[in-house]
Amino acid sequence: MYLPWTVKYKPKTLKEVVGNKEAIQRFVEWIKSWEKGIPSKRAAFLYGPPGVGKTVTVEALANDFKMELVEKNASDYRTEEAVKRFAGLASQYGSLFGARRIILFDELDGLTGTADKGGVKAITEIIQTAQCPIVLIANNAFDPRFTSLRNHCLMIEFKKPSTTEVLRYLKAICLKEGIDAEENALKFIAQRSEGDIRSAVTDLQALAQGKKHLTYEDVAWLGFRDRQETIFTVLRMIIYGKTCDGAKRAVNMADVDVDMLFEWIYENVPNHLTDPHDLARAMDALSMADVYRGRIKRTQDWSFIRYVIDFMTAGVAMARVNTKTSGWTPFHFPERIQALSRSKEERTIQLEIGRKIKRRCHISATRASKEVLPYLRIIFRNNVEMAAGIAKWLDLTPEMVEYIAESKEKAAEINKLLG
Amino acid sequence: MKSIGGSQLSFEMWAEKYRPKTLDEMVNQKEIVERLKSFVKAKNVPHCIFAGPPGTGKTTAALCLARDLYGEGYREYVMELNASDERGIDVVRETVKTFARVRSIGEIPFKIMILDEADNMTADAQQALRRTMERYTETCRFILCANYSGKIIEPIQSRCAPFRFTYLPREEQDKYLRYIAKNEGVTLLDEGLDAIYEVCGGDLRRAINTLQAAASLGKPIDAKVVYSIAGRANPADVRKMIETAMKGNFIEARKQLREMIQKYGVAGSDIIRQIHTEIFRLDIPEPWKIKLADIVGEIDYRLVEGADEEVQLSALLARLVEAAYEVKGAKKV
Repeated sequence: MYLPWTVKYKPKTLKEVVGNKEAIQRFVEWIKSWEKGIPSKRAAFLYGPPGVGKTVTVEALANDFKMELVEKNASDYRTEEAVKRFAGLASQYGSLFGARRIILFDELDGLTGTADKGGVKAITEIIQTAQCPIVLIANNAFDPRFTSLRNHCLMIEFKKPSTTEVLRYLKAICLKEGIDAEENALKFIAQRSEGDIRSAVTDLQALAQGKKHLTYEDVAWLGFRDRQETIFTVLRMIIYGKTCDGAKRAVNMADVDVDMLFEWIYENVPNHLTDPHDLARAMDALSMADVYRGRIKRTQDWSFIRYVIDFMTAGVAMARVNTKTSGWTPFHFPERIQALSRSKEERTIQLEIGRKIKRRCHISATRASKEVLPYLRIIFRNNVEMAAGIAKWLDLTPEMVEYIAESKEKAAEINKLLG
Repeated sequence: MKSIGGSQLSFEMWAEKYRPKTLDEMVNQKEIVERLKSFVKAKNVPHCIFAGPPGTGKTTAALCLARDLYGEGYREYVMELNASDERGIDVVRETVKTFARVRSIGEIPFKIMILDEADNMTADAQQALRRTMERYTETCRFILCANYSGKIIEPIQSRCAPFRFTYLPREEQDKYLRYIAKNEGVTLLDEGLDAIYEVCGGDLRRAINTLQAAASLGKPIDAKVVYSIAGRANPADVRKMIETAMKGNFIEARKQLREMIQKYGVAGSDIIRQIHTEIFRLDIPEPWKIKLADIVGEIDYRLVEGADEEVQLSALLARLVEAAYEVKGAKKV
């Protein structure tokens, strides 16, 4: 059975947690202060980059202090009502069995969109009356959504551990696995992880599991593949899966969230299922997965995620009937995501222009940038006077004019007319 | 400023400049306009749903109604909210409620809230809206504009007077475009008019935008000019995409689809409508056309239910690839 080393060697006690000694110290003191009564901050907000040990720290602490850890992930508390269901848990310090309790809201970054704002608000309310320690975890605590929340929390920053610290941890794992590893090789892995311990351990497992020796040559090529090893394995398990279960299990191995995994599958299916019938079946499965994503979006009921996963993994795996597995076909990074991030800046200015149009034209900013902007482009390229008139009428900035005109010279002419 | 064709071009978006200001000025949707006028006469307006395709005058009708009802200072009594920009439940809770509950001081005891693109609101937000509508009926009337009334939840529909807007008839649109062209001193040829109708259907906003963009070129507007404008503004070459798929090149077809959606913002519903039309023009055995229509219909339905238009439409492309493959196989036998 495949057991990720990130799970197998997860620190059980605070002593084993890599790095962040100072942060852990502050966290421990805060927990201890509860024994003398409720402290002024009833919540601690642990923040920092992914894979530096925030969640692990909370789990290890609960273990060390023999506390009951009630852990909630983003999907459990997307709405106000969902959060309020936990309110009762927070109202007592101890549980029925006498163990004291910590409530952990993990992955706060996962709350997105306006509908989830209610969730953040509800968490804030729970903190204000909490009778037991509440812990919040997010990558970016300075997201504007958390502004009011932060006032109620002890803010504890988790930093990336140093390469030496990561290296020491990797060495310890190799020792336990009975792998004789070159110092250089481990150092390479540690450096490449940039302080993300989780990815370092995942890389180590991918490269070293089942080996007796690990050399620098074994790992050097990793540099070219840029942390995608896990996702390739996952994709192979799905697209070439023989059983529904096997394909579904792949999701747990993935280092990316379900939406991102969907993108990877959606991007790569056509290259790997070349028979038209197989392709149509696989795309149909992805279409059904997407229908369930739509249902989640509309109902905010995240339990439907299991059907999304069924279709995007098992559905795709079972699509293969005629296509032979021949040769080696590479996997690609989702082109759609690349295009999206490339055009992020572009979309921002488009939306700003859309807002200007909206003010004048009784049409949503979103639609304006799609339905009116293309015509403006033509006008701005062909008719400087008309463009200047419209720019003035819409109150466009010189940057917006330049974006629409798609030419510095034209934009200069138009802006000159505007004075 | 320079003049073109003898008279000055006015420098704003013509679609706004020529938007009717009063119900009397509205050229189309005669029956609807008559009913709205009767509301003005009675000084009472029920909650309404204005449903119909884009560019058919829904927002215009709502604004005209408001102006006729309150006079020139109508803006004080009217709030326009766009559900595509602010579709969350918080907007309903905060903005809408704040506006709705304060009693109006004028002669007419209620205000009007125009909720544009209301079919883009989440189900949660719609539920919240429904309670707000009920609670503040005395102080506020809602006009919901939507492309598909089917996306509005049943309880709201049952509280609203429904109005179904349809595409402008060809003559009406021609008359309108001719009037604008004359007023702006632009030469608009008959073939240019034909072409505008062909590329825009009865979507008046798009037709006027096309006319203005064509006029910016500063030459008489003939069919060629219109097609070049439409091609640049809306490069939804659905036919080409279908051909690519039918040749068996799924990846390339999906790329073309992606370009349409991501770069040019063409709506999935528009693309599928065109695919549906094209299916019947394909060079395939007749029985296949109806088989494909069934598939198109299924995907059209999923498009409403799903989260991602590209995923749904590319599933359809894969079915086209499959169909072409089978047709070819059948021919060989």
